[in-house]
Amino acid sequence: MDMLLQILFSGIALGMIYAVIAFGYQLTFATSGTLNFGQGEALAIGALIGLSVVDRIGNYWLTIPVVLLAGAIYGIGVERLGVRPALKAKSEGWIMATIALGIIMKNIAENIWGRDDLKFPSPVSEAPLHLFGASVLPMEIIVIVGALALMLAVELFNRKSIYGKAIAATAADREAAGLMGINTGQVITFSYALSCAAAAFAGILIAPLTLTGASMGAALGLKAFAVAIIGGLTSGLGVIIGGLILGLAETFTGFYLSTGYKDVPGLVLLLLVLAFKPAGLFGKTAIKKV
Amino acid sequence: MFNLKMHFTTLAMAVGLACSAHAADPIRIGVSGPFTGGSSPMGVSMRDGIRLAVQEINAAGGVLGSQIQLVERDDEAKNERGAQVAQELINKEKVVAALGIVNTGVALASQRFYQEAKIPMITAVATGTQVTRQFLPPRYPESYIFRVAANDSIQSALIVDEAVERRKFKKIAILADSTNYGQLGREDLEAALKQKGIKPVAEEKFNIKDVDMTPQLLKAKAAGAEAILTYAIGPELAQIANGMAKLGWKVPMIGSWTLSMGNFIDNAGKNGEGARMPQTFIQEPNTPKRKAFIEAYQKAYKVKQIPSPMSAAQGYDAAYLMAAAIKQAGNTNGVKIREALENLREPLVGVVQTYNKPYSKQVHEAVHDIGTLAIGEVKDGQVIYAYASDKAKTGR
Repeated sequence: MDMLLQILFSGIALGMIYAVIAFGYQLTFATSGTLNFGQGEALAIGALIGLSVVDRIGNYWLTIPVVLLAGAIYGIGVERLGVRPALKAKSEGWIMATIALGIIMKNIAENIWGRDDLKFPSPVSEAPLHLFGASVLPMEIIVIVGALALMLAVELFNRKSIYGKAIAATAADREAAGLMGINTGQVITFSYALSCAAAAFAGILIAPLTLTGASMGAALGLKAFAVAIIGGLTSGLGVIIGGLILGLAETFTGFYLSTGYKDVPGLVLLLLVLAFKPAGLFGKTAIKKV
Repeated sequence: MFNLKMHFTTLAMAVGLACSAHAADPIRIGVSGPFTGGSSPMGVSMRDGIRLAVQEINAAGGVLGSQIQLVERDDEAKNERGAQVAQELINKEKVVAALGIVNTGVALASQRFYQEAKIPMITAVATGTQVTRQFLPPRYPESYIFRVAANDSIQSALIVDEAVERRKFKKIAILADSTNYGQLGREDLEAALKQKGIKPVAEEKFNIKDVDMTPQLLKAKAAGAEAILTYAIGPELAQIANGMAKLGWKVPMIGSWTLSMGNFIDNAGKNGEGARMPQTFIQEPNTPKRKAFIEAYQKAYKVKQIPSPMSAAQGYDAAYLMAAAIKQAGNTNGVKIREALENLREPLVGVVQTYNKPYSKQVHEAVHDIGTLAIGEVKDGQVIYAYASDKAKTGR
């Protein structure tokens, strides 16, 4: 029984790591129909900047605003350089452009911080807590709470504030929103800033659990992309559920079938979703009701 | 006055040129390894060990009346870059012999160029069992690839000896990564366990950059494993050690020499204490040669702790072996140097061991059995001897 619970806990913690990264994909897709394929790199940059700042000031919590700001600046850069020109030309050039910017950022990060994986000091005790016979690290709880808090804050912002309404309007119909006097260009820039800030925040959130390095985002970014597809690129709730599905599928397959095949069920699910419900389990299909 | 000075300088240069033309041309030896990136602690320590040996050899008059000149190239631990570097060293730089290579993949991708050009190569760090077997007779008339490092099958034998014979564990789990290194090592471990009549209770796999090792560890735990044998690299090994701490389940970790690397020791912190691994060299002055080597390295590079002591020692020994072979060959012909390596007449006191006819036509490994190796243990962030008896017997 406690084995089952342990796998469940680990699956949930892993799933929330995927979900918080996938959330960033969802933010920009909603407003602009584009994605930042350099999301994994934004995560790595966030974690590495966080590591440098923690080394200087010694307080984990105070680094959060710095990292959010750095992420936002990165997002604005990606949008200006990679996405806006493609949107103007109505081309799919943003796919290659965001991948290219991601690779450039990774190379820059390798030159600044080196290619080795570094340890991120944990802000809380590294001794596990025992809940119902299963072990959980305090940091895993912080990841779950932090991810949920971030998503809740962004959702509240989108629903309650006037800027959020502009985002919702742009997401619903970009051209109509533009005609209503909303500066949709600015909204898209803002959504990129928010998306990369979320990724950077995810970076420092998970760094004490994983290791920190320029290449830490590559595998995670890809898994999170699968999560976003499974859950639906238009749904905030979808990415949480998608993350949990993939996280649990990995840990349960790893334990009950074989660790050699742990990635398979999640990816099979991805193929099934693409075949039968391309908008994702919780995504809205093309026809939108406003 | 100005003109006069100019003339004088020109004259001096001409005389200088004439003189250097009279002295014997330097013997050019290629050195390649990862000097940047994740494997660079090994690559740089190896290169510094080689440089140290060559400085000493040159200071003592060089070889065959010539100075040795090193031509160094960074292979960035990339297979395709390694192949380029080998061709450049052979065709453009005209090296007569080569030393180095840290990564097994790079060795396998690049050593065929040395083989084809009949240029002897001593692999200093890469441990893949295949490396020295690729061109061995009878499949090929002769092989130009030699090694000073301990290969994976010898390391596996020692890992299993430590787990089964010395510490009497019966239930053993293997955790290996999904790369060539991990999976070939897992096969070597299985073979070594089979010889002792033991079948592992769990064999688990993980990918590079996996962030959660819980399922693998829980399976090992559920199978009742008393020890975990590992074949992986530093960061993921650290994740295993940290994952065990999280589960509150601590069994001994015994694995390949990568457990001695900084990126395991630093990232695992106190969770990595007690991990054990085979070592050709531990930074402790237990023989006069080792004492001299450690002091010379510390003095030359102004460090207290050698970043990767094994790589430095193996690089140093590889350079001395090659110099001894060139001396015995009497010239820099690749075929003659290979023949000399396969029949070294004079014993060579090295840092890892004393080389007494280390190689023959059929044997291109300098480490032949587990007796040459010691078991190292991580203690207070450093690798020390796990057994006083190892400290007394190794390095001689």
